[in-house]
Amino acid sequence: MLQDMKRYLEVVANIMQENKDTLIEMDQIVGDGDLGLTMSDGFRAAYLAVKDTDEQDLGKLVYAGGKAMASAVPSTMGTLMASGLMQAGKDLRNQNELTNENWVQFFDSFEAGVINRGKANVGEKTFIDGIDPAVQVLKENIELPLAQLASKASKAARQGYEQTATMIAKHGRAATRGEASRDLLDPGAYVAVLLFEAFEISVKG
Amino acid sequence: MKKIINNPENYLKEMLEGIYIAHQDQVTCVNDDLQCYVTKNKTPGKVGISTGGGSGHLPLFLGYVGDGMLDGCAVGDVFQSPSAEQMFEITKDIDQGAGVLYIYGNYNGDIFNFDMATEMADFEENIQVTTVLGADDVASAGPSAPGEKSTRRGVAGIFFVYKCAGAAAAKMYDLETVTRIAQKAADNVRTMGVALSACVVPRVGKAGFSIEENEMEIGMGIHGETGIRRGQLESADQITEEMMQQILADLPYVEGDEVAVLVNGLGATPLDEQYIVTRKIDAILKEKGIKAYRYYVGEYATALEMSGVSISLLKVDEELKPLIDYPVNTPFFKQM
Repeated sequence: MLQDMKRYLEVVANIMQENKDTLIEMDQIVGDGDLGLTMSDGFRAAYLAVKDTDEQDLGKLVYAGGKAMASAVPSTMGTLMASGLMQAGKDLRNQNELTNENWVQFFDSFEAGVINRGKANVGEKTFIDGIDPAVQVLKENIELPLAQLASKASKAARQGYEQTATMIAKHGRAATRGEASRDLLDPGAYVAVLLFEAFEISVKG
Repeated sequence: MKKIINNPENYLKEMLEGIYIAHQDQVTCVNDDLQCYVTKNKTPGKVGISTGGGSGHLPLFLGYVGDGMLDGCAVGDVFQSPSAEQMFEITKDIDQGAGVLYIYGNYNGDIFNFDMATEMADFEENIQVTTVLGADDVASAGPSAPGEKSTRRGVAGIFFVYKCAGAAAAKMYDLETVTRIAQKAADNVRTMGVALSACVVPRVGKAGFSIEENEMEIGMGIHGETGIRRGQLESADQITEEMMQQILADLPYVEGDEVAVLVNGLGATPLDEQYIVTRKIDAILKEKGIKAYRYYVGEYATALEMSGVSISLLKVDEELKPLIDYPVNTPFFKQM
């Protein structure tokens, strides 16, 4: 049911809203401080774009959400997240239900879209360090009941995020700090944690 | 902050409204979105050229939309990228069946959005899009290794890329040729600037950095990015000498070469001073045995009210010279 994807995007929009101030504070340390606004406005725009649609193609629905986000928040991180949604949309074209396979595909393609746009790799203290471990867990446990799968992935994302406090930033304004960036947690990776927390909540029903 | 503005939140909108009023004979916007700026004069079968970037640099970027140069420009808020959707809407509007070339400065926000617009154009409309980046600022990073992506910022030298590509498209060359020529111009242009004062983003209300009254910064970027040296203000000849030395050595430009020269004011430096710099550039070129093919002097790429100048050199050959000479008529730039 595509309703599940709409519900997921709604939970994401809400969780970004709830964490707006946390994200702003984290980003003020390493970036320019607009991450909380970008994520909260951007995922809200994605949800509003799909909320009332009759679209039956899962891919087209997700792509439309991504495009709305790209228009609403054309900043660096906004465009990266929109690219994730749009790639997921492209790869889910002609699908019309949310099987475990399609959920895994959604997050796997989301990660690929962000990597393709931002050219970041694992270990460079970015969003990728949050989403990548979670996507690996999803792929390895695809047979599990969805709620368990989501919970496992969410834990992996959080562990990945915590690992960013051991990495040196290579991208964005944080990179200008070099070694001094090492002890800081990456706000982008925290966005990945929130995406999986939303997944866990939305599939619990 | 001392500016002739109304509510800073309306800065972009009100500026664009003024431009559309003054130049309604030549330009318009797509889908009532003021930030999607396009020429009214379309030529069927011509390669479309679009640019885009943050505001605060007039006449860059939108000022080069017009006959003999560009067809469209996505206009962002001050120093902010426009959205991919806006770039895509412009792409659809200016495509005349021959494809579209994107030419813009080497900044992450712009790259992300233009790349996304390229995918939208391909995925949704099947429009062929190519890209050439302006990355001419010698002071912003070292030269890139062959095959590596440049990490240099794009500054005033992009004018020459627009000029050559725009003329090539006006001559009805195909997308592949226009793209090759744009890339050739981009590969042969180098720029360096000097800033004497900071600039203020209207919605921020105060300068993002400060320069003392008696100081200058060689190599500062057009958003106030750190340059290569800050020191006591020197004479026009000394400053010009230092910038030219770095520019000439970088390509390098050597004896027997011919160059087009752009002396660009950053916003608050009088033309008088720009001509004083021009005079010294010519003396240096003569001494090096480099021929100045053509001079452009004035404000071509500014940084709000920053004072300072930049110097750009484009090495020209028999292919680029007629493109440099080709006539242009835009609201902001005319060449007979």
